[in-house]
Amino acid sequence: MSSSTSSEVVVRARHLGKAYQLYARRGDWLKQVMLGWWKTYYKPFWVLRDVDLDVHRGESIGILGRNGCGKSTLLQVICGMTLPSNGELRVTGRIAPVLALGATFDAELSGRENIMIGGAVMGLKRGDLLRKFDSIAEFAGIGDYMEQPVKHYSVGMRTRLAFAICAHVEAEILVVDEALAVGDAAFQRKCLDWIDSFRRQGTLLFVSHSMAEVRRLCTRAIWIEDGRIRAHGEPSEVIRAYHRALAMEKDDVHRFSAGA
Amino acid sequence: MPSVNIVNGKQIVVENLDLMQRVSRFLAKPFLQMWHHRELIQAILRRELRARFQGSAGGWLWAVVAPLVAIAVYTYAFTTNLQLPLADTFGNHRIAYALFIFSGIVVFNFFAEMAYRSPMLLHEYAHYIKQTIFPSDMLAVISMLRAMAYTIISIVVMLILQLIFTGGLPWTVLLIPLVFPPLMVFLVGLSWFLCAVGAFTRDAGYLMINIVPLFMFATPVFYPHNSLASPYNILIYGNALTGYIEVMRDIVLLGHLPNPLVYGWILFTAVTTFYFGYWFFDRYRNVIVDVI
Repeated sequence: MSSSTSSEVVVRARHLGKAYQLYARRGDWLKQVMLGWWKTYYKPFWVLRDVDLDVHRGESIGILGRNGCGKSTLLQVICGMTLPSNGELRVTGRIAPVLALGATFDAELSGRENIMIGGAVMGLKRGDLLRKFDSIAEFAGIGDYMEQPVKHYSVGMRTRLAFAICAHVEAEILVVDEALAVGDAAFQRKCLDWIDSFRRQGTLLFVSHSMAEVRRLCTRAIWIEDGRIRAHGEPSEVIRAYHRALAMEKDDVHRFSAGA
Repeated sequence: MPSVNIVNGKQIVVENLDLMQRVSRFLAKPFLQMWHHRELIQAILRRELRARFQGSAGGWLWAVVAPLVAIAVYTYAFTTNLQLPLADTFGNHRIAYALFIFSGIVVFNFFAEMAYRSPMLLHEYAHYIKQTIFPSDMLAVISMLRAMAYTIISIVVMLILQLIFTGGLPWTVLLIPLVFPPLMVFLVGLSWFLCAVGAFTRDAGYLMINIVPLFMFATPVFYPHNSLASPYNILIYGNALTGYIEVMRDIVLLGHLPNPLVYGWILFTAVTTFYFGYWFFDRYRNVIVDVI
């Protein structure tokens, strides 16, 4: 466990649950909107159930789990993009989500213009962005492509640009979702170094399928399965348990079905 | 320090406010939000304006050419081939009837652009809304400002043509800024409502595509509002655009001061639409994230 357990709690979740509304028929949502106060027309599909979590200032927490287990939903709920259906959540401090890197890029615009918009979406002022521009460009390291439309970029270049923007947002809590998977080794190392330095002042929530990254960056790990926390604790122990389970349980075709 | 506190799907704000404070907070909220997100509004608006003519050689020229061509065609069509009985009543300039129509069309097009786009607006920005912490209510404001830019160009073109062909402008033209604040507020409110409905169902978009062209005939674009028979000349004010078009023609073409009753009605519909739209959008905001 990290040495900071006694320090301030920045994310506190109790019995956190999130259900999406599944409608049997296409028209049912309308009934729900009009008559929702009287009767429920949807089947709740629970993607998160009963999650208890305390994140302390300065911690970095790795979140493991298979596709569709609810990792990303947990991050979205913590970031405040979507409301939890029940439970309590308290987040203190400026939070910056690095989810689906580059998803917000406009393919027609140049890298430079996307930095201006992406930065604005992240809450940076235009003046700050202009001042930080050279530093962002240097971090991304895509050279003359900066002035080209993003549609000509490779996936790796998009990731570089997106991460470079995120690295310049002054956040207290950074939430990173499978961000580094596509960069080349040199860029991954640069990002990891940056995250390392960020951890000295900020708090990190980190989803990854790379156990090496989790082991290197995280002070604690959480393993989520079926929307619940299955294991929680020392990274290497959680990783070992997770690996054992992966080897035992085959990739189940019914994993994404919404039934009981 | 910014802090989020949520219990059972409801944002908890610990404060004790009496009714008056709560009402005034609700009334101020959309404007405080706009101010708070001004940098973001600017950035996206700049992008949208640039994107509109991207890949076209003419660029902004198109925004100027469109109203020019429209006025030329109206002038030609309505004074040479198609002699309308109304055409003589708008002065002896051939262009007068064209300007009359165009002053209505400017207002109507502003409305139409918003009505067409709003139901799709949240889908268009779905990746922002789902992946970042994004103030989705500001999209309506941004698209209104974008449509406003083209409206201003059209009006400037119209005034220049009027100045050239009729040899002068009435001083009441200076009152144009009076027409726009209520119109902008009205359209943002309408857009919030359509955005929220459109997020749930694409039918709203298809409905608008079918309904807006027909709605044009229920709006006094091609005819003066006072040429209608008895009950209809009052009922037409039920269409909120009527008032704007009337005021627009009063101050730009006829050189009259607007009828204070009509202007009062405009203000009333604008403010109620604005707050109804905001209330509706805000109410479904959290559901919208999960359905788009």
